[in-house]
Amino acid sequence: MPDDYYPWGGEFIVCNHKGCVAVVILNLDYIPSENVAIYGWLKTENIGIEKIVANVISNPNIRYIVVCGDDIRGHRSGLSLIALNKNGIDRNNKIIGARGAIPYIENLNNEAIKRFQNQIEIIDLIGVSDKKIIKRKIDEYIKKSPPSFGKPYYAIKIKQKNEINLDDKRVIHSKIKINYLGKIVKRGE
Amino acid sequence: MFSFTKDQRIFEISGVKIGGQPGVYPTVLIGGLFFKGEPDFIKAENQIKDMLGLTKKLGNPSIPDFFIRKEQYIEKILNFIDKKIPKRQPFSIDIIEPDLKIKTLQLLDDKGLLQRTIYNSIHIGITNEERDALKNHTPNMAIIVAFNPKDKSPDGKIEILENGANLIDNGLINLTKKLGVKKILVDTAAMAPGDYSGAAIAAIPVIKEEMGLPTGCAIHNVVEKSKWLDDFKSIRKQVDASSNINIPMFGGDFTIYGPINNSNTVFPMIAWQDILISEYVENYFGISPDDSHPRRKLF
Repeated sequence: MPDDYYPWGGEFIVCNHKGCVAVVILNLDYIPSENVAIYGWLKTENIGIEKIVANVISNPNIRYIVVCGDDIRGHRSGLSLIALNKNGIDRNNKIIGARGAIPYIENLNNEAIKRFQNQIEIIDLIGVSDKKIIKRKIDEYIKKSPPSFGKPYYAIKIKQKNEINLDDKRVIHSKIKINYLGKIVKRGE
Repeated sequence: MFSFTKDQRIFEISGVKIGGQPGVYPTVLIGGLFFKGEPDFIKAENQIKDMLGLTKKLGNPSIPDFFIRKEQYIEKILNFIDKKIPKRQPFSIDIIEPDLKIKTLQLLDDKGLLQRTIYNSIHIGITNEERDALKNHTPNMAIIVAFNPKDKSPDGKIEILENGANLIDNGLINLTKKLGVKKILVDTAAMAPGDYSGAAIAAIPVIKEEMGLPTGCAIHNVVEKSKWLDDFKSIRKQVDASSNINIPMFGGDFTIYGPINNSNTVFPMIAWQDILISEYVENYFGISPDDSHPRRKLF
């Protein structure tokens, strides 16, 4: 559930707010220890990644993301997350170097992405399913105990423009309406 | 319940008609065979038999949707389709990985199955290699997913279909036609709960009135992603099945309803809904149901 630290809801569990490690789980049945800041599951290479970015830059204590498990087939969401951290996005908001199906970041501004790149180092354990290895790596990075990145950054969801002013009470959508005969017709025709 | 002013396209694949004004043809039901791990073809054959039995009884056409995860399963699944499902039965193939899509198209062609194939799907992530493969091995029909990561509203979905929304060089409809696929189904791209999920339903009449193409979606995906429904496990399946009612209610033509083992619940629900719609539109608009319609079958 969203809270002050993690404003965008998603499939994640909050643990230690002061923790410096977040864990992103791909295709793997794994529960990290309570020492991590937050852990959750990543499925999609667009909205899923947007939520992770928003929910780590809002907690400046998080400095590392450990990505583990087999990547999501076709979506390649884990690799897309790493590519975003490394390369950012192009003019069309596509994650540079991502090879998933639809790796577009549309709900975060450039500042949020820059912040993600500067605040977070990603530890790539994609393809690793051995829980002992994953735990060892998480513990190693927790021990580094880096300083907080400063103030939280709250990414604003980019809202769609809505300039529709409708007085028709039977409207379905700005492009169509139901006329008095019960027929769907285009507006303005 | 309503009818559209715009002429509605009706496409046929191997005897199954999809599209048109609400109340003419029954809602087409697309059920998934996801094969976790090694495909269990005995189970799949039985599930498809059950699905086709429901079609025979109720009238709503069945499209088994074969999800292919790994290269090693392509040939096995296509052999199963070739040998074990009825010879005229249309089917769809549902693949995420572009490389697998390309290999599957080639093999579908080799086996002479493209005329019965609904390609699921074309979206903005289409690669150049996939385009070439579609040109060379063109399926009879394709589902286009109107997913627009910039704008998930009905307007955004239309933009992606019409002009690609600057995310791709062409609108998806034109792009698909240029590849040689003439029969297009529009999937309105149902999103997760909390992420404008209702827009997939609202977009159905908008796209039908704008483009006249057969339209539907996988509204099941919204239910599948709901977390709070975990607190209501006993009702989850009913919510899942009944969410499909929204599609014919909003004028849609097909539903991708999730796992094929939901067929027993989904088919009668949708047949029931189709009957309600038909009764009204025939009386009010004079639109008669086709002979295959559940209203003809059950009354």
